[in-house]
Amino acid sequence: MPSMVERPDLTVELGRGLRLRSPVMVASGTFGYGFEAPQVDREALGAIVSKGTTLRAREGNAPIRIAETPSGMLNAIGLQNPGVDHVARVYAPQWATWDLPVIVNVAGDSVEEYVAVARRLDGVAGVAGLELNISCPNVQSGLQFGVDPAMAAEVTRAVRAATALPLIVKLTPNVTDIVAIARAVEDAGADAVSAINTYVGMSIDVRRRRPVVSSGSGGLSGPAIKPLALHAVWRVAAEVHIPVIGVGGIMTPNDALEFLLAGAAAVQLGTVNYIRPQAAAEIQDGIADYLVQHDLSDMSALPIRPMSVLTNV
Amino acid sequence: MAGAVELVVSHPPSAVAAAPGQFFQLAVNAPHTILRRPYSAAWFDPAAGRIGFIFNVVGAGSAWLAALDEGDELDLLGPLGRGFDLDGKRSAICVAGGLGVAVFPGVVQALVARGRTVIVLQGARTSAQLLPAARFAGAEVQVATDDGSAGHHGSVVDLLANLLSRREQFPPPFTEGQGGGLDILTCGPTPMLTSLIDAARCQEIPLSAIQVALETPMGCGVGTCLGCAAPRAAGGYLLTCQDGPCARADQIEWEAMTDAFHG
Repeated sequence: MPSMVERPDLTVELGRGLRLRSPVMVASGTFGYGFEAPQVDREALGAIVSKGTTLRAREGNAPIRIAETPSGMLNAIGLQNPGVDHVARVYAPQWATWDLPVIVNVAGDSVEEYVAVARRLDGVAGVAGLELNISCPNVQSGLQFGVDPAMAAEVTRAVRAATALPLIVKLTPNVTDIVAIARAVEDAGADAVSAINTYVGMSIDVRRRRPVVSSGSGGLSGPAIKPLALHAVWRVAAEVHIPVIGVGGIMTPNDALEFLLAGAAAVQLGTVNYIRPQAAAEIQDGIADYLVQHDLSDMSALPIRPMSVLTNV
Repeated sequence: MAGAVELVVSHPPSAVAAAPGQFFQLAVNAPHTILRRPYSAAWFDPAAGRIGFIFNVVGAGSAWLAALDEGDELDLLGPLGRGFDLDGKRSAICVAGGLGVAVFPGVVQALVARGRTVIVLQGARTSAQLLPAARFAGAEVQVATDDGSAGHHGSVVDLLANLLSRREQFPPPFTEGQGGGLDILTCGPTPMLTSLIDAARCQEIPLSAIQVALETPMGCGVGTCLGCAAPRAAGGYLLTCQDGPCARADQIEWEAMTDAFHG
């Protein structure tokens, strides 16, 4: 039955002209480069964030790479990706034909590598923005940038100088004070932050007497981390003036709404993409229904606290 | 088959579309579980619109599936991945270890329908865990048990080694073409598979004549999570969900496979 109510405006702005028709994004590493999950309706998405992309192709970690844990999963993929050149030459031209922004998640081992990847993608048609992965827990050195405010700021500043693209920085929760990191990358020129990446965790196979995932530890995602992620977003959103993208264990429209009410401008779906590919559409519809039911004009009316978010519209 | 569960799903499109060796991702709704469970279809009945799955209860997900009642609905994604390559006329030996046998009723059915000569070698801990020979109509079935309660007392790989050592005695097409004119299709625990690979190497059977249905931990099943990696002979990793689950044995780096998945 067609709705009698006009569909509410779900548009969100993430800074530097990055405008999404819907606040529902798919998180890095859970959607490949947008080609692998044909059962997901791209119409239902606000943006795709690509798999973490490095300067050169990476094979990733040896198996075993994933483990299910209570209401969650551990992953230690190890940034398996084809390298930025392949992404720019082969994938981006296809993205350019889509009516959907694709944001490339950028990873690296050094400031120079981040900068080189960002520079390669700058001005490439089909690339709508960058998300800096300064928080991948599964490679040797990636985490260091995300746990220290000065280093997080340094890499953000260097990438900011190397590209005109909208720049999102993805924060790790594996820190003492996530707000300090968020403030540091805001000051260094980030247009938005994603909060959060996975929590470092582990699982042990008691029969084989060894960690389940080959690298020992992995990144915990899924509903198990949702309350933790929500709290991080709640704290960060109150302290920065750039949009916050809420990520962590969102499975349902209600979950997404919690993040939006906590102050997130948009949300990313991760683990749920593995289980219910139709979740993105359901969540987008659920947000629209909520706006209608509560007589809210647009997305900016959702946060339950006064927000100081400034978008450069 | 003691302890094993057979789940029959009525879904005509899948029963028609699925090829032997392909798998489905079954959603489970057990408390605190999250991922779908990947299962190869055991058999297909396109006429009746049904697919069968055979599995053991090993955890909360399989227990939830086993507890389904007749008429309950199931959310399944598939068919996914690559099935066995069943083309050709050569004789086929299906080597199954433990619950790896679950993929073979449909495989044998398809091979027999193609007029191919099929031998099923089935190994289990004990006779009660063997799938009855009636499940492999049209094939010769030999069994091995660890406890000697049925058939050969020992490994199913012994049965294969014995067959391979006598293959010159067999009539064509056994003795024709590359690989001694036969295809080996296998599924089972990694130690059994690596032992089978060793036996094939001893008998100078090219690994390209062996197809293996891989079993690895799996996340999404559609190539996005990159969780189901298996070591590739050419370096790097293949994805069980996309490059498999059925792959030629010469594509696999078996030494690294043992290291990762040794039971």
